[in-house]
Amino acid sequence: MTELLIDPDIRVWVFLPIVLITFLVGIVRHYVSILISTQKKAEMTQIMDSQAMIRARLLRENGKYLSAQSFSMRKNFFNNEETGYFKTQKRAPVAQNSSAMLTDMVKGNFINVLPMVVIGGWINWMFSGFVTTKVPFPLTLRFKPMLQRGVELASLDAAWVSSASWYFLNVFGLRSIYTLVLGENNHADQTQAQADAMTGAAMTMPQDPKAAFKAEWEALEITEYNNALKNIDADMLNMANEAIAS
Amino acid sequence: MNRVRTRTSKTGEIIAYSEGVIRKNISAVEYCRTSMAAISGCAAGILGLSGTLGFLFYFLSVFVLWLMVLAKSGIQWRKYFINRRNLLTNQFMGGLCTYVLFWTFLYGMVHVY
Repeated sequence: MTELLIDPDIRVWVFLPIVLITFLVGIVRHYVSILISTQKKAEMTQIMDSQAMIRARLLRENGKYLSAQSFSMRKNFFNNEETGYFKTQKRAPVAQNSSAMLTDMVKGNFINVLPMVVIGGWINWMFSGFVTTKVPFPLTLRFKPMLQRGVELASLDAAWVSSASWYFLNVFGLRSIYTLVLGENNHADQTQAQADAMTGAAMTMPQDPKAAFKAEWEALEITEYNNALKNIDADMLNMANEAIAS
Repeated sequence: MNRVRTRTSKTGEIIAYSEGVIRKNISAVEYCRTSMAAISGCAAGILGLSGTLGFLFYFLSVFVLWLMVLAKSGIQWRKYFINRRNLLTNQFMGGLCTYVLFWTFLYGMVHVY
């Protein structure tokens, strides 16, 4: 492998600034997103609905430990044809406040996409065409387009890294450092935020309470009461007898 | 989220762990792992390790960190962690990412120019 002599000024004015810029932009992104994000307000009725759903589910799962009367009392509270909770609560489907949703989307784009485009474009423009560093391990030719973006030299060894690719290496490599510096759940890393948006991790409220109520009502309706503690006294006596006998 | 996690020991006993605390322990170890990856990456870069030697250095550092965590938790590591092997292998690739970044960074700063 032929050694390449690189001007030390590239280290001071290209290599180091890219690391610092990437890191500091992440920090700024974290604080800006804290600054402009608004706490999601939950409606009183929404919380009531979700709590009722949780109670119904608990009843379905653990109702076998109750006495028959208690179980049917609770079931009646939810499912009675005239007065049951799931029957009487008429909820209009939640119309997401469209303007609030729009501002959320704009803010999300503002935090996630804009810095990525602007900073990435700026770095590409400002520091384009430098060979900055060499990775200290040999790589195959397959990595050449990945590591040498902006420097198209066929004869250059694949281990050399161009400035634009060095920026991307930093973007992906600094993720765990942000966790270290800013703590868990930081907003510095845009790739994580996009993954969250994809899976919809923030959705805890049922979107349409009417449909959710109907499903829960059906599930509770077909739940048969089956006492899990039916033979508990006999079992206890058997155990006591065994203990005495042994 | 379950509040309690259980593990059956060899004798068939069921041991209950508090989920939140286990999570906290694991994230504390995660911090140590990131720091260790960054520091060992810096060391490898300054020493000028290259090729396979650098990766071996990473394996060594992960292993040393594992031993250090075990030494810290002592004989009663079962009180703090459910599984000893997961403590070694968790987040191996994420740490490698950090390590390679710092390794490349310091290697470039010191040895390339």
